Amino acid sequence: MARRFRRTRRGITAGFEPQEAELVAGLLEDVAGLLAGPAGATGGPSPVEDDAGEEDQLAALARQLGGEPVAAPEDPALARLLPPASRDDDEAAAEFRRFTQEGLADRKRALLLSTAATLRRPGPLLLTDDEARGWATALTDLRLVLAQRLGLQTDDDAALVSLRAAEADEDDPASWTASIYDFLTWLQEGLADVLLRGLPRGGGPPLR
Amino acid sequence: MVGAVSALRTPPPPGAAPRTARWVATAAPAEAERAQATEAAETERPWVTLVWNDPVNLMSYVTYVFQSYFGYSRAEAEKLMQDVHGKGRAVVSTGSLEEMERDVEAMHGFGLWATFSHDS
Repeated sequence: MARRFRRTRRGITAGFEPQEAELVAGLLEDVAGLLAGPAGATGGPSPVEDDAGEEDQLAALARQLGGEPVAAPEDPALARLLPPASRDDDEAAAEFRRFTQEGLADRKRALLLSTAATLRRPGPLLLTDDEARGWATALTDLRLVLAQRLGLQTDDDAALVSLRAAEADEDDPASWTASIYDFLTWLQEGLADVLLRGLPRGGGPPLR
Repeated sequence: MVGAVSALRTPPPPGAAPRTARWVATAAPAEAERAQATEAAETERPWVTLVWNDPVNLMSYVTYVFQSYFGYSRAEAEKLMQDVHGKGRAVVSTGSLEEMERDVEAMHGFGLWATFSHDS
């Protein structure tokens, strides 16, 4: 069974069983694949490579400057990863999408793939602080997608998902998706605690 | 938002990986939300960034994002997080439209849902 994330002198670790590592790596790569679709990085790199070629980058820039509208993703899980930036101004939201959606999708994809790659490294999982921070965000994106697939829309729904996970009905796909979601939530909670402990309690220099 | 998670948990069932991949690829029925278009008034008052509650994000993670990205103290970050959780949303920054767009983009990068607005 996986051990909770913790900080050691050599880095941030969590003891994954081989099948848990494989499961999580595969799921991260699945979400990266979702983001490579037409709603995310339009004309972006294939799932195999994660560096956009210079031609792709120029094409993306041309699209943005050319004023081509960028549609909100139709897939509701993707739509949650790339949500509207305004609730009361459709035009502003559309403008924001035009300038940011592709870049955001690309960065999310790259992070999901690099996080999966840490799990595929030989030996026990050992993360730098940067990788650990990336993990926290990658886990969020993965949990957002799974939650949408589970129909999780309110805080009450979240409690129901936990109950469903506890049932662990092998014949019900939603049940093991719920238990995986539960596992990932537990994992992220441990990691968030480690990251919080690493921050100064008083205000610090902002990243923005 | 999700509060503290129990240290005890059951491991995922064996053989779940191939079955779950289909779940990632298949969409659940979506609920459309139509935003009302309003006239955008040109004024000098500052814009705000709002972060909205959602049922997936962990309180600890949201606190971490507010503290590390904005440079808030732990106490300030926790207060804002509690406002998001309890009131449904909270103003996390104010400034020019450009600054708010940058903050919203950053929040989306972290997996939070944020919007910019001329009103809080």
